[in-house]
Amino acid sequence: MTVNFSRSRALAVTAGTLALTACSAGSLRADAGGGSTAGAVSLTYLVDNGDATVKLANQVTKDFMAANPGITVKVDTRPGGTDGDNLIKTRLSTGDMSDMFLYNSGSLFQALKPETNLVPLSDQPWANNLDANFKTTVTSGDAVYGAPIGSFFAGAMLYNTKVYATLGLKVPTTWAEFMANNAKIKAAGITLVIQTYGDTWTSQLFVLGDFHNVAAAEPSFATEYTANKIKYATNPAALEGFQRLEQVFKAGYLNKNFASAKLNDGLKLLGDGTGAQYPMLTAVVQGLYDTDAATKQSIGVFPIPGDDAATNGLTVWAPNGVYIPKTTTGAKLDAAKKFVAFLASPAGCTSQTTGVTPTGPYAVKGCTLPTDVPQVVKDTVSYFDKKDGTSPALEFLSPVKGPSLEQITVEVGSGITSAAAGAARYDEDVKKQAQQLGLAGW
Amino acid sequence: MIRPKGVLLGSVSIVVSFVIFVVPFLFVLVTAMKDRNEANLLQFSWPTRIVLWDNLVQVVQARDYQLVIAFVNSTTLTVCSVAILVILGAMVAFVLQRRPGRWTRIADFLVLAGLIVPPAVVPTIWALQKIGLFRTMTGLILIEVAFGISFTVLLFKAFIATIPRELDEAAALDGAGPIRMFFQVIFPVLRSVIVTVVVVQSVAVFNDFANPLYFLPGDENATVQLTLFNFSSQFTSQYNLLFTDILLITIPPLLMFLFFNRQIVAGQTSGAIKG
Repeated sequence: MTVNFSRSRALAVTAGTLALTACSAGSLRADAGGGSTAGAVSLTYLVDNGDATVKLANQVTKDFMAANPGITVKVDTRPGGTDGDNLIKTRLSTGDMSDMFLYNSGSLFQALKPETNLVPLSDQPWANNLDANFKTTVTSGDAVYGAPIGSFFAGAMLYNTKVYATLGLKVPTTWAEFMANNAKIKAAGITLVIQTYGDTWTSQLFVLGDFHNVAAAEPSFATEYTANKIKYATNPAALEGFQRLEQVFKAGYLNKNFASAKLNDGLKLLGDGTGAQYPMLTAVVQGLYDTDAATKQSIGVFPIPGDDAATNGLTVWAPNGVYIPKTTTGAKLDAAKKFVAFLASPAGCTSQTTGVTPTGPYAVKGCTLPTDVPQVVKDTVSYFDKKDGTSPALEFLSPVKGPSLEQITVEVGSGITSAAAGAARYDEDVKKQAQQLGLAGW
Repeated sequence: MIRPKGVLLGSVSIVVSFVIFVVPFLFVLVTAMKDRNEANLLQFSWPTRIVLWDNLVQVVQARDYQLVIAFVNSTTLTVCSVAILVILGAMVAFVLQRRPGRWTRIADFLVLAGLIVPPAVVPTIWALQKIGLFRTMTGLILIEVAFGISFTVLLFKAFIATIPRELDEAAALDGAGPIRMFFQVIFPVLRSVIVTVVVVQSVAVFNDFANPLYFLPGDENATVQLTLFNFSSQFTSQYNLLFTDILLITIPPLLMFLFFNRQIVAGQTSGAIKG
């Protein structure tokens, strides 16, 4: 008897294992497209898991589905950063991409091999309605591949307007004025420039955000840079970004914990007025609004000042794009095209504004911003309204961006390396990357 | 009999284990109790306002109750893969150890190759797509089994080498067939090393991030480790929710350790001596 019992137990274990293996991934939700009417299409839309991105995606899909009853869009999320980049490339190359996906515009978009992987959208009516600056960042060869989601933002000097008002300071338009302001702020015992090298990427803004000044001095910098004809270390205008980073450190203008502070710490210093200025991407202020609503009014932004007040202007980053992979076909492709058309329409912009506060102007003609936007956005828009008031960041104009820039700027910004040596090392760094991309002239 | 040296050594090891294991856990706990502003400071301090319950509710409800689905997925994944690993690994090791020959030498080589050769993502996805297992839980379970089998087989093989052949022969003389011999005679003797395999592999599979990310994409397929990314992104981090999520995820392995504490220690020491 025992024999039979044991054998049946062993069988039970095996059977149980098989039964468990057979069960699929758990799902508590009813299948979205399951019981709907015939002709219905259901799409998946892959976005990164940033707080604002997900809120935005949920809002636009909701409004889109309300306007197009036959189509359901399901939002899927992925990690950001390197994990996200790898995931996107893996899923594209295995033909397993979602029906639509959100990804950076500019050089990261170029790295997706748009010609082989993505559906060209130049023939869509909205393609002519895009902002010219944005259009170049989602164009590969002759074709446009993406619709914008979100809005422009700047890489510039965030500042606490209260500190400026109390000390009676004016927004500087040249580097000399900036340094004169600093002398007064220093006398008041406030941290002048916040740096947060605990998050290394935050150290790059003095160099990347300075590009408007570089472009003003050398209008053809981007093309010559891609062709390896101009260098950071040898071009005086380009070198200035590194030099200024070194200068603020040598002058002792940084917060005491600059070496270990994180982005969150930096924003907090700026928000409560212990720090006056923080070179940063303006999109990140959103995180500060969630914790301290008063900062919507008290934080403003001005461009990283150059030598000449006449060419003072903002370096801007383009919004992300939404792309359709070649694996989306038939009825799904038609529905997906409707979705991107919605994003690139004034109705889509309104919907985006409902989802999250915009960070700057939209990249679609005919879109307007609400009047109650935060101070940072108002400041950003004012430079867009000025003639030649903005330039896209270098990463949207040239595929050449070295992976180690953030490490190098941390070294320069904490006095380990001199500005000249740092710039020279960065030129070495981009050389490898340019050779990997197979660019001519390297 | 108090040996001063032993007391000193004991105290030092208690302090060290406190610093290494308990302090981080306490940090997770206090941060999980804070509100968002306070948690963002990342300080090791008692919260001014305890909002643990609110955080728990928010974490569980996030992304349409994704965490609940993730726990179901992670449990399925871990239980199935570890069960297969234990039974299959022990069977393979038994045959390889007891019947040396030309074929087992090749198998030995393949087992070692499995330890050395790093897996590549894209070809694996192609292979899975060809056999229709991509994007399925079964496919992911097989992947976890494949990545764990080499280590498991080596562990079992070393242990089976210490079991005297006379045991098999006695069973065979009494009329046991190969299946019965394995399940009734050998398998029970392997108990301590089975516990080791279960612990090591459960932790590895439960904590795996990259494989579920690549081989089982989609929000409804998330495992618990993937839910951590809901609360941390490049620009904004909600540390209070992130740490609450970490706390929730830490509980199952912790419970497992509490319940199986004795067997785990016994299993690992016996593996250490005989393996």
